[in-house]
Amino acid sequence: MADQATTTRVREIVAARCDGALLSVTQPHPDTLQFRVEKTGLRAVVEGLVHDLQARFLISVGTDARPITGDFTILHLFSLDREHLYVLLESPVSDKELSIPSITEIIPGANWAEREFRDAVGVHPEGHPDPRRLLLADDWPEGVFPLRRDFPYNYQPPPAEKAKPQLREPPAGASVMPMGPFFPVLEEPAYWRLFVEGETVVGCDTRIFYNHRGIEKLGDSVLTYNSIPYLAERICGICGFIHSTCYCQAVEKAAGIDVPRRARYIRTIMLELERIHSHLLWLGIAGHIIGFDTVLMQTWRIREPVMWLCEEISGNRKTYGMNTVGGLRRDLPNQIKPKLLETLASVEKESVAVRNAIIGDTTLHARTRGVGLLSNEWAKRICTVGPPARATGVAIDARLDHPYAAYDELPPQIATQTAGDTWARVVVRVTELLESIRLVREALSVIPDGPICAEIEDEIPAGRVGVSVVEAPRGEAVHFVLTGGDNRPYRWRVRAPTYPNLQAMPAMVANANIADVPITLGSLDPCFSCTERLETVDRRTNSVRVYSHAELLEISRKKRSSEVSKQTAGRGGSQ
Amino acid sequence: MTVWLMKTFLLSVLNVAVALLFSPLCEGMMRKLRAAIHSRVGPPVTQPYWDILKLLGKEDLRSTGGAVYGALPALTLGSVLFLATLVPMGSDAPLAFAGDLIVVLYVAAMSSVLLMLAGFASASPYASIGSSREMMMLLSVEPIMAIALAVGAFKAGTLTLGGIASWQVQNGPSISLAIGGVAFFLALQAVVGKLPFDIAEADQEIMGGPLVEQSGPRLALFRWSIWTKQLVLTFLLVEVFFPWPHSGIYLIDLMATIAKVLVLLVLVAVVDVVNPRLRVDQAMGYFMRVAVSSLAALAFAVIGR
Repeated sequence: MADQATTTRVREIVAARCDGALLSVTQPHPDTLQFRVEKTGLRAVVEGLVHDLQARFLISVGTDARPITGDFTILHLFSLDREHLYVLLESPVSDKELSIPSITEIIPGANWAEREFRDAVGVHPEGHPDPRRLLLADDWPEGVFPLRRDFPYNYQPPPAEKAKPQLREPPAGASVMPMGPFFPVLEEPAYWRLFVEGETVVGCDTRIFYNHRGIEKLGDSVLTYNSIPYLAERICGICGFIHSTCYCQAVEKAAGIDVPRRARYIRTIMLELERIHSHLLWLGIAGHIIGFDTVLMQTWRIREPVMWLCEEISGNRKTYGMNTVGGLRRDLPNQIKPKLLETLASVEKESVAVRNAIIGDTTLHARTRGVGLLSNEWAKRICTVGPPARATGVAIDARLDHPYAAYDELPPQIATQTAGDTWARVVVRVTELLESIRLVREALSVIPDGPICAEIEDEIPAGRVGVSVVEAPRGEAVHFVLTGGDNRPYRWRVRAPTYPNLQAMPAMVANANIADVPITLGSLDPCFSCTERLETVDRRTNSVRVYSHAELLEISRKKRSSEVSKQTAGRGGSQ
Repeated sequence: MTVWLMKTFLLSVLNVAVALLFSPLCEGMMRKLRAAIHSRVGPPVTQPYWDILKLLGKEDLRSTGGAVYGALPALTLGSVLFLATLVPMGSDAPLAFAGDLIVVLYVAAMSSVLLMLAGFASASPYASIGSSREMMMLLSVEPIMAIALAVGAFKAGTLTLGGIASWQVQNGPSISLAIGGVAFFLALQAVVGKLPFDIAEADQEIMGGPLVEQSGPRLALFRWSIWTKQLVLTFLLVEVFFPWPHSGIYLIDLMATIAKVLVLLVLVAVVDVVNPRLRVDQAMGYFMRVAVSSLAALAFAVIGR
């Protein structure tokens, strides 16, 4: 909770910077300050927040608030980590003039967030360096904004021909090496267009968001408060419980629901179990990326008993379905404690063995030290979170900065490194893994008895905001909820940790060797399904034609050979 | 003359058959070992045979045309089988002749060059990167094999593999040839594309490099030639650098040779499984150091050790 002096100071700085553009100041929660400013004063306030208060940008939320206030609203979310304070900076945007000053020049990390609200609600960030689409598909029609209230969730855009991503061309003398949209080390589609000279990467461009599922749209148009946790859990296949917890906490905060202590402890235990199996999974994948499959096989073998435990607790290896607004639907059975402790002991023993093995492996050092360097300064400017941030000396961790669940009573020891390379990220994660085991143990020893879910008698009032962060294994996940009528949020915004971290990737692969690009990307532990939770609706053509195997082969070959001949004709002296 | 011709022909066929038929089995055993270290059950040791059969039965798809491109997989396998006739595998090399050592070096490099050509011809960026990596690896590894064999040639005063082997049997182990043998073994790991040197193929980086556009029967032949080369070069290493114990009784010597080949293959597999992949510049630096060390072997040979 932020103290009085801090909030006063923030208010003063914002008021001073605003120069009369300040519309209102509210403090919806002890740890949240909300400013409503005219968009003319926005950039000055953001500069004040970033330079005077070292505020960290979290995400932007574009809301179509026309039914309520008659305007669109763009809300920038900041965190003052040391002061445990969220700052919400809201600007009304009239539908007569759909633009707002861009803040990407001040905060490079706001790049994607601004492109996203431009795509989703159609508010143009003025002065933004990148005019291209971010989340909308390349064949999505112009002028159709999926997060506007008058956009039906089941809209089907007309099929488009010859849609193509707008990607940059390589600089003179460089050639393109495509990594994606489907690539062996990417578990999900993402397109990194690498510009290479020989084996050296001289630049890159990205196209992601191939997998939007329209989750936020469903949240404010179809689902209800209590059904969203199950959808939130399906945002990610690894850190599902993190997203459902984060959503529930945001609603609980907005509605002022007090969650019972026991539920908070169980959430903590499940969150840490998720971190344990996620970090083991990551370690295996990182090994696999550099061809070290022994690490993959062994860490996944160690991980498996953790999955069995989760299954025994919740009924599922993943996607537990335990969270609900106000607490939990399922208790942690007391008789599972001894087994839990026993499994943790063996997981700890084997993890330590793996740690000792990899710490002494010189070839592993050769492949990870100095690879994928991220500087402390750029990590802060691009708003990197989680292990990649901590590996470069940015000591942020949502569990300490904005304590939730039972972390106020069980503060974790966070691991930081200063090198900022892939090896530092390995060390940070392995240390965190062992710390999580300690946290689960400690939580089990002090977990109180009692109810696991709060009684909610009143309806959740409309127009309240709730911001919640949860430290996922990949970094901090942010959920923002603006409550609405008819038993569902008016706006639900999700920001997964991979979202800011991926934006650091171009700097990390600059001048790298091609061989280092996969492990650099892998060292961010990217999760594209998390990042791409937004708005695209299944597109189906009205008539369905079934192609036979032979026909498909025929078509694909025809297409391919005509493309090949075109390419070879056009290539000339370029190689 | 005809008897000699018949004998040479039959022995060549025998060598080729052994190399072709047993190399998938060796690969299968190496996979099994790999699985054991991974705590996996792993595929049956016969799996590589089924892999080849399955691939051979698939459609022959080509990303580009051209008769030479079409013939590359067969040429690659052919070059490896020719190598098999030049290497002593349990008995004298069928096609041994004065100066065969130099031919062996060329033929051993040939399959890599052909694979490289297939990569460049397939017009995929991954294949071209893979092929250029293959070239860099070849250029760093080939001198080591040449130096190691040159040490033997210098000591034995002959340019035939058989001559070096019999000189070794008569004169016993020496420091220079032991160093040469170790250097040859390190080079072998790279020549057969095992970790930490499977840089040219690097699935996770360039999706199989030169092999990315190869499928079906073409892939089968490329795979088969890599496995066969692995077996033949291991025989070469054993026969030339570690021919002891030599009892003079043919069957016992044959068993000993096979046992040594298997031990070496196990070593190759273990090195493969406990290492991550190096970057090509790191691998080249490493082999540069190995090459310098193998020059030490030459120095030892000069002072008669």
